[in-house]
Amino acid sequence: MSTPPIRDRWGRVHQLLHWGIAAMILGLAAVGLWMTGMPNSMDKLQVYALHKSFGITVLALVLLRLGWRLAAGRPPALPGPAWQTRLASAMHGLLYLLMLAMPLSGWLYNSASNFPLRWFGVVTLPALSGPSPELKAIAGAVHEWGFWLLALLVAVHAGAALKHHLVDRDATLARMLPRALFPPPKDDAR
Amino acid sequence: MTASRPAAPARLAVPLLALAAWLIAGPAAAADYTAAGGSTLGFRGEAQGEPFDGRFQRFDARIRFDPAALGTARFEVEIPLESADSQNAERDDTMKGDDFFAVGAHPLARYEASAFRDLGGGRFAADGQLTLRGTTRPVVLEFTWTAGAQPVLEGQATLDRTAFGVGGGDWADPGTIAHEVRVSTRLVLAPATP
Repeated sequence: MSTPPIRDRWGRVHQLLHWGIAAMILGLAAVGLWMTGMPNSMDKLQVYALHKSFGITVLALVLLRLGWRLAAGRPPALPGPAWQTRLASAMHGLLYLLMLAMPLSGWLYNSASNFPLRWFGVVTLPALSGPSPELKAIAGAVHEWGFWLLALLVAVHAGAALKHHLVDRDATLARMLPRALFPPPKDDAR
Repeated sequence: MTASRPAAPARLAVPLLALAAWLIAGPAAAADYTAAGGSTLGFRGEAQGEPFDGRFQRFDARIRFDPAALGTARFEVEIPLESADSQNAERDDTMKGDDFFAVGAHPLARYEASAFRDLGGGRFAADGQLTLRGTTRPVVLEFTWTAGAQPVLEGQATLDRTAFGVGGGDWADPGTIAHEVRVSTRLVLAPATP
């Protein structure tokens, strides 16, 4: 068989969304950590504008991904201990939650700070709130602490995927990758 | 009675003090009105393609105006730039910083007008001079005047921020921060206390 059964592997669309969102989140994290220390300048404005635009893009892609997952379904969980499956589900739920909370708290922080929001200078997005120092403080804290929590979860998520791949030698990681790019481990080619 | 009259020097004291007060107060005493509560002085700029509004929390306006006597009219407005507020802490800090208002070196902006035109239809124009960030340039304020016990002056002016060096260097890019700034004011005027 040249292609595995669909139920075994994440579909192309979902894979594309998974890795595209992952790449953007890494970029957003790196830029986000760096940009707050920039001296006040035109460059800083532009970098912030890009951070916001990519963040909104992630929000849209995560919603698309959740919609796609509901519509197209997901491959069944690989065999494993029940506690592990439940923990993985909880982990993925938290990751989705944070992938929504991060752009939304950033958007709210932007609105409460009374900055406009134009997606790549093309589409003007509405403000989620009026100017408000209180909301700004709350949204800013959620954005910052949410980031550290997300960083922790991503590290655990990636660590678990590598552990499955290298130690357990199962298809957990491989089925989120194109078959051509990554030869499946033995137990995926049943 | 005559015995209780003050001595000559004492009798002179009151008019002399009045004269001294007039000399010290100078032109201020010539103002008919000052801005009362409810007066506003705002501005609208545009950054990254979106307009934003700000206002000056404090300003001091001395207005002498009579639609029938434009020749004697005079506006004097002093604006502590530190009081600029666009409800955006980051933007306000930048605006007051050295690249824009430079409030440290130039804490006050000043608008003075003594030449006025009747534009008809209840509208007037003040051909005044605005001093901002150490630079003085002509700025025309067009306004309406509503007479009354507390006359109301409503006016607008448009100015180019770069003419005053507000936002030079990289900040001068009009695509990021528009050069044109619209100033609008609504003054509720109370008779000046001499």
